[in-house]
Amino acid sequence: MSTLALYLRIWLACARYSLVRAMMFRGDLFIWSVVELMWISVNVSVILVIYSHTRTVAGWTQYEMLLLVGTSMLIQRFLMGFFWSGIFEMGRNVRSGLFDFTLAQPGDPLFMASTRKVELDGLLNSVAAAAIVVYSAWKLGLHPSVLAVAVYLCMVACGVIIHYSALVMAMSLAFWITSSQGVEGSYFTLMEFSRLPREAFNRVASLLFVWILPVVVVSNGPARELLHGFELWWALALVAAAAGWFTLAVAMFRGGLKRYTSASS
Amino acid sequence: MTKYAQSFLVGLQSNLVYRWNFGVRSMFWFFHLVVVFILWGAAFASSPNIGGFSFAQTLTYFVVIFVLQFFIGAFNEDYQISEDIRNGLINQFLLKPINYFAYRLSVFAAARVVSGAFGFLALLVALPFFRGYLELPHEAWRFVLAVPAMALTAIIQFSIAYIFGLLAFWFLDIQGFVILSMAIENLLGGQMLPLDLLPKAAFNVIRFLPFFYQAYFPASILTGRQGYDFAVQGLVIQAFWAFALVCLAEFVWRRGLRHHTAAGG
Repeated sequence: MSTLALYLRIWLACARYSLVRAMMFRGDLFIWSVVELMWISVNVSVILVIYSHTRTVAGWTQYEMLLLVGTSMLIQRFLMGFFWSGIFEMGRNVRSGLFDFTLAQPGDPLFMASTRKVELDGLLNSVAAAAIVVYSAWKLGLHPSVLAVAVYLCMVACGVIIHYSALVMAMSLAFWITSSQGVEGSYFTLMEFSRLPREAFNRVASLLFVWILPVVVVSNGPARELLHGFELWWALALVAAAAGWFTLAVAMFRGGLKRYTSASS
Repeated sequence: MTKYAQSFLVGLQSNLVYRWNFGVRSMFWFFHLVVVFILWGAAFASSPNIGGFSFAQTLTYFVVIFVLQFFIGAFNEDYQISEDIRNGLINQFLLKPINYFAYRLSVFAAARVVSGAFGFLALLVALPFFRGYLELPHEAWRFVLAVPAMALTAIIQFSIAYIFGLLAFWFLDIQGFVILSMAIENLLGGQMLPLDLLPKAAFNVIRFLPFFYQAYFPASILTGRQGYDFAVQGLVIQAFWAFALVCLAEFVWRRGLRHHTAAGG
């Protein structure tokens, strides 16, 4: 069996287990779905309140901005659904020593740690985020072709890889700083930039948040593709950022792993 | 009283162990402020006056909100309390002449001294970037009224976190409730936007809720967003909520203990 097929089988087993678990704790699933929906509502409310006082923000109208925010949330919901729980627990398990169990599993430690759980609530709310994108596109009178939608989805996938990498790097800090409790907040703070239009950044901020950290490209790329059609620069920037950041995240995780001293760390 | 002073000192030491966590948080606090600066800067570029306030006044509001969060905001007290209950550590407090609320409050105060120190350092680093944009009013009464408002805010923040933590008496996992409340508190507490920008009808309802006094109220006094009469009325409502929440915390504690089963020795 090829390595890819083996990992696919492992992931499917984890996903099946997660689904059964979610059905066992239906109340929990309901609460977390409401939590995710509430955060989406909070972000949309902020946009609506700002636009009740101004007509444009950095040249973006209300529905263009909602499309951008919806795209950013869609990427984040996919991350929440597929990877969040596993990576979040990784940070705590490194401190407690429970990470030993991950290392003992038959696969790459990063893969085993980050794909252990699939959260249904995150995936359910990706429908809400997608609805915001569709509604905004409809209000803007956009009629993207099937190809344009396919390219948009590929760009969203690149965004998920970038988010995943940023989160792995944030949680890998646990190998160095004893406890990663609260550090996950740093990921959310960084990703706040992905809800801002590229045009809002001045020269200095652009250098850091557009060129060095890919937090702006991650959502602006797909959103612009729907709004203005395919732009090669944005597509290349996204693919390059996804590849670069994933490599960095793997390197940082492996560097941290060398410091891991089991239950006594 | 001595035992709570000792708890405070132990809390101070245990929080200093996690100084890097506070350091990382402070650094990302700076990034959060940059997001606010970029978003609101772009909004004010289109409309120089939003809700009757300038860009400098609005930015000052957010800086004050963030500083308040470091000095008097509850971070993860709810999680710590729920862990005490889940792991059975709470049993040791039931056997000793110690009030758990007072004990937790003293640990909370110690944690805020440490996080406040890091927040202050972050502010010092950020000041050169934002100094030209900060605009505080000069009326002395604002600083006089802000002191009790901040003290009551700390009690409200802590009591809400304490009550959510006590939910662990009934539920295995309270994180869903905690993050749900965080979403509500972020919006209705004025951390996402100044509440006076909301429609008047919504503002007039929210000002009677406890969330209003978790951040917006002291910040609005300090930054000149509300006048003297509003501040005095607000202090009365805030004192009521602080008292009501402390009573509710005691009630939930007593009810929770009836559910609690202490096992082992």
